Amino acid sequence: MSQIPHFISTEPFDAEATVAAGSVVSERYARASQARLIWWRFLRHRLAVVSLLFLVVSYASILVVEFLAPYELNSRHTDFIFAPPQAVHLFHEGRFVGPFVYPLDYSLDMETLRRTYEPDRAQPLPIRFFCHGERYRMWGLIEADTHLVCPPEGGTLFLLGTDRLGRDMLSRMIYGARISLTIGLVGVTLSFILGISIGGLAGYFGGWVDATVQRVTEILRSLPELPLWLALSAALPLTWSPLLVYFGITLILALLDWPGLARAVRSKLFALREEDFVVAAEMLGASPRRIIFRHLLPNFMSHLIASASLSIPTMILAETALSFLGLGLRPPITSWGVLLSEAQNIEAVALYPWLLLPMLPVVLVVLAFSFVGDGLRDAVDPYQH
Amino acid sequence: MIRYLMQRIVTMAMTLAAVSVLVFAIIQLPPGDYLTSYIAEIQAQGEQVTADKIQFLREEYGLDKPVWEQYLVWVTGLVQGDLGYSFEYNQPVADVVGERMPLTLILNAATVIFIYLVSFPIGIYSATHQYSWSDHGLSFLGFLGLATPNFLLALILLYLANVWFGTSVGGLMAPEYIDAPWSLAKLGSVLAHLWVPVVVIGTAGTAGMIRRLRANLLDELNRQYVVTARAKGLPERRILFKYPLRMALNPFIADLGSILPQIVSGSVIISAVMSLPTTGPMLLSSLRSQDMYLAGSFLMFLAMLTVVGMFVSDILLAVLDPRIRLGVKGAR
Amino acid sequence: MPQGPGPGTVRSRLRRAAAAAAFPLFFGLLAIAPAHAAGSAEPKSLAAAVEKGDLPPLAERLPSVPRVLPVDSPCSAKDLGGTLNMLAGSAKDTRLMPVFGYARLVGYDSDYQIVPDILQSFDVEEGRIFTFHLRPGMKWSDGKPFTSEDFRYFWEDMAKNPKIAKFGIPPELLADGQEPVVTFPDDYTVIYAWPKPNPGFLAALAAATPFDIYRPAHYLKKYNPNYTDPKKVEEKVEKSGQRNWVALHFKKDRAQRNDNPDMPTLQPWMLVTEPPSERLIFARNPYFFRVDKEGRQLPYVDEVALIISNPGLIPAKVANGEADLQAAYLSFPNYPFLKRGEKRSHYDLRRWKSGKGAHVALYPNLNAKDPVWRKLLQTAKFRRALSLSINRDDINKAIFYGLAEPGGNTVLPGSPFFDAKLRSAWSVYDPDRANAMLDSLGLERDEPDGLRRLPDGREMRIVVETAGESREQSDVLQLVRDDWRKLGIELLIRESQREIFRNRVKAGSTLISVWTGLDNGLPGPASDPGELVPSTAEQLEWPGYGMWVETHGTGGEAPGDTPDMQPLKQLIALREAWRASLDAGERAKIWREALQIFANQVYTIGIVSGVDQLVVVSDALENVPEHGVYNYDPGAFFGMYNPDTFYFACPAVDTAEKRP
Repeated sequence: MSQIPHFISTEPFDAEATVAAGSVVSERYARASQARLIWWRFLRHRLAVVSLLFLVVSYASILVVEFLAPYELNSRHTDFIFAPPQAVHLFHEGRFVGPFVYPLDYSLDMETLRRTYEPDRAQPLPIRFFCHGERYRMWGLIEADTHLVCPPEGGTLFLLGTDRLGRDMLSRMIYGARISLTIGLVGVTLSFILGISIGGLAGYFGGWVDATVQRVTEILRSLPELPLWLALSAALPLTWSPLLVYFGITLILALLDWPGLARAVRSKLFALREEDFVVAAEMLGASPRRIIFRHLLPNFMSHLIASASLSIPTMILAETALSFLGLGLRPPITSWGVLLSEAQNIEAVALYPWLLLPMLPVVLVVLAFSFVGDGLRDAVDPYQH
Repeated sequence: MIRYLMQRIVTMAMTLAAVSVLVFAIIQLPPGDYLTSYIAEIQAQGEQVTADKIQFLREEYGLDKPVWEQYLVWVTGLVQGDLGYSFEYNQPVADVVGERMPLTLILNAATVIFIYLVSFPIGIYSATHQYSWSDHGLSFLGFLGLATPNFLLALILLYLANVWFGTSVGGLMAPEYIDAPWSLAKLGSVLAHLWVPVVVIGTAGTAGMIRRLRANLLDELNRQYVVTARAKGLPERRILFKYPLRMALNPFIADLGSILPQIVSGSVIISAVMSLPTTGPMLLSSLRSQDMYLAGSFLMFLAMLTVVGMFVSDILLAVLDPRIRLGVKGAR
Repeated sequence: MPQGPGPGTVRSRLRRAAAAAAFPLFFGLLAIAPAHAAGSAEPKSLAAAVEKGDLPPLAERLPSVPRVLPVDSPCSAKDLGGTLNMLAGSAKDTRLMPVFGYARLVGYDSDYQIVPDILQSFDVEEGRIFTFHLRPGMKWSDGKPFTSEDFRYFWEDMAKNPKIAKFGIPPELLADGQEPVVTFPDDYTVIYAWPKPNPGFLAALAAATPFDIYRPAHYLKKYNPNYTDPKKVEEKVEKSGQRNWVALHFKKDRAQRNDNPDMPTLQPWMLVTEPPSERLIFARNPYFFRVDKEGRQLPYVDEVALIISNPGLIPAKVANGEADLQAAYLSFPNYPFLKRGEKRSHYDLRRWKSGKGAHVALYPNLNAKDPVWRKLLQTAKFRRALSLSINRDDINKAIFYGLAEPGGNTVLPGSPFFDAKLRSAWSVYDPDRANAMLDSLGLERDEPDGLRRLPDGREMRIVVETAGESREQSDVLQLVRDDWRKLGIELLIRESQREIFRNRVKAGSTLISVWTGLDNGLPGPASDPGELVPSTAEQLEWPGYGMWVETHGTGGEAPGDTPDMQPLKQLIALREAWRASLDAGERAKIWREALQIFANQVYTIGIVSGVDQLVVVSDALENVPEHGVYNYDPGAFFGMYNPDTFYFACPAVDTAEKRP
């Protein structure tokens, strides 16, 4: 070691390479530890972890709904209209026979027009697993007939009862998950993209860009949310195909969600852009785009994810509300909201309470998202503990 | 301060102007206009509708003018305090809405009171008993209220109220009291009907309020001055009520402005489901039948509530906290 | 031809009119005198006002010859009265009251014969000269006399005033495009004379939504500058915020909407609550012109309260006993729920017959825009195959508890033209035959259970549109979808909204639509067979041809010369023949022929009929028929059964005993 080298290289300055190399190293380091820290903190929140697991399982399951559902989405059973949920038994006459159901005896009281179903306790029908049942097309492509659970030979398996056309509620709820769960995710993704880019612009450039964005978000926020949803979805052309309606509704949900996110991004950016590392990057000639996406965003991404996870449940609930009012998704699309809209009368509450069961997954998923969001928020906030 | 005030007033006026354009645009979005739904309806009754008649009605309702002109008519009316004319009810909007205003206000006031009454004790309790079982239980309950689709809860409660207490289904009072003058019996009937919508609309708001209060209070409780106070041997109760609670309440003032419009718009679906004589069902049906002045003035009213609410809470905060007022520019 | 030619009918019609006129006269003279003498005929709720002199006594309020309904109540005057509660889904349902009240110049009796009601009598000559005799001394609900001046006001100051009737005389008053000569010989006589017969005139007057040819002149003149100081009218215009006197006049004159408490009426109940309100009260009209056998003024019930509620909650409210008489907003699937509340809430759940030709029917659009589909939909064989492949028994069982009548869209057993063969024509489940028919049309499929292909190679996916108002229609479609899938045709359901639905059908954008069947399932020879025939642009199965006929060939689409169009042209010719004929026998023959073609061509695919309307009647309400037909036109829902004669049981009568 003869001489300390001069800290300024004599080579021509290559801003790109230097910044890239430097930032990658420092960023990887910062990010890894940050993420790990967050993860550790998150794990301490038991309820959030359980909820996360539940959500992962739920979302994984929507990939294979055809396999999970005992019946096809539209298969109906004229002889089993408004059948109550069938109980699964394990013991028949004191003897263990594994999971089985009793077949239902149907009778119609012509005086009151009430359908009654009596389980026939004489013959237990064992439930089949990994079995061949109704044919379906996986994702509309691959034809198959393997199900996780099938109704017993010559019997039925309505674990959550049937609706007014004799369709299995459980199967419909499983299929409905595909729509209801993705609508929140797609909606949040859209609102995320909008929020980050618009909020990012405002926060980075400030000045008139910021002022404009500020005004726009303020205007959007001052419009009453629910009536706005109603008005916008009433404006969706009725001639649209169900798929288009689905995207339309998602877009509407996203359109009204992004201002909150944009505000959060903006205020974070304002705080961060005065930080030394940003000034340094700026002085080294990094482009605004690069600074926003490479340096600033990663800094509060986790924070954004936490707040986004809290707006997913809002969207899921909003979808149910819209469908309930007949302004959201419409049959033949089956979502939880559509299922609930079919139960929207006191008759269902009084006579066929199992039609209200789609409420359960809605509540569970919304709860799970809230807990995960809570856990994440606690975990990413370094000042909390 | 005065400058700040002026600035806020100017932005508020601008926001309202922009909102009015948006609102009008939204109402015009769905295809057709009030006449298309009106004509379909009279046709369904077997009346003959000729193209001539349609044109006549269109002129009669002023729907033949270009949209911008319709907008100008509406907005100039609004500024002068004229809310326009409801096609559906064949009456001025102010009369139609006015008739339902008292009960709407009662319902919303009751809901706000319910939210505050329930969420304050629970919020304080769960903050002071953080991570205890009762804390978890209570916040779970709060979440549950948030997670349950309101409209179904409304239906279920409606049914149970009818079966258990014999309350008439829907509405805010038994039918025989609707046009009766106010009396004790009528008040009793109103109270017997009011609790269902109040609870249902309230549950959603309560959960958020509990969580916010709890988080704020926790923040404060972890501060140095509280530790100091505790170290000096002040009783817990005294510590809590003397400073942290007051500080934790600060954001509630900010909320006051937004909570009312939130409740008003949140109660729309519930009111429709439960057939309450409030403005909610009216807003829904006016949006559906494209009764544009009714829907427009109504949306405008809600937007105004929000904007003015935000304004008031901003001013209040500025009065309470000089930092905001002085650092308007720097705080950004 | 089974019966004699034209003139005979005219004579028989005349006789009937005369008999109907004599009937009340006879009873009126017999019955009123003693009642008046006893002084008990005065309705209890009005007695005080009469005592005080605010209201003239009954004899001065009734016309000299009131209409006497052959009914009676065992209750004494002091026990009659009360409030009848009904539920409605929207503030606009105030229009239901003139339907229930069903006071018309002429109206249908329970045999669907047109009889004088507000009119004391009427004469028809050659189907073109209509002479109306009013009841002398009859008064509007505000006590002002009802005279030929009220007809004159409508004819001269409204129908012929280009400011009010901007687009000319209403079509109901035109016979083949020609207007009548209207004369008013005296206060109580009005004559409408056309150069040609106007066969729809009386039916239009008797309709549930009547074509009113009279107005309360004394009331509307207040808003007409030709009769009132223009300055005063101008003041009123300004005060009400209307743009001119025509708009104000239009607003004040909404008898059918019935939302103006100031407007005098002839109906049994008149609106007294100023809308908007959640509870609209209709008080008895003290000048109502009908009396019972004993000469007591109707209606028996003092007031009707219309309670506005969310339509979805109405079944629940009814089950809770909140309505005394309710049919609107109740649908058949509510049966188990309503039945459950019968005992608890003290009402009787009745099933009235529906007057619709079919409860659910599919309408293939012969004027569809898509040329390939259009050709197919115009082919009778294709329509027949679609109809044959529907398993109606299954649908009946699944949705209607097996209580409906599976079959095509045709007239009901109550009509003289009913024929079981018409109902079962092409509507007995036969999927094999349907498949073979489609095969023979060259609609091939690639694999045995794949979709068939259209001649241009597209897969057969047919979009069926609904107005999105009836859950039952959507449910039926779900079941039809399964049946058609077996046929190799995929059915896609699109729910829309009524106005959009109608517009799309008219534009030919819709391939098949769903609606209820024939509106008048119980026609007689005098009923217009227009529903079976292209006649208006509103028809879902042939909007284009309908418009062509309606506009006399200036609009719409002319039926071509292909063999597929022959039956259609035949139908159009049959209706022309019906319009030209005045003979009941000949008209009946035309009806039968048209029904035959309509059923055989399967222009509409009826699915089930005879789905009953649920009617909830409070145990306390008497005189409501146990069985009835619930239809809008003809029928006016309850109107045909005279709700003014319904009454609340009084303590003197044991209600349980009276029930069969």
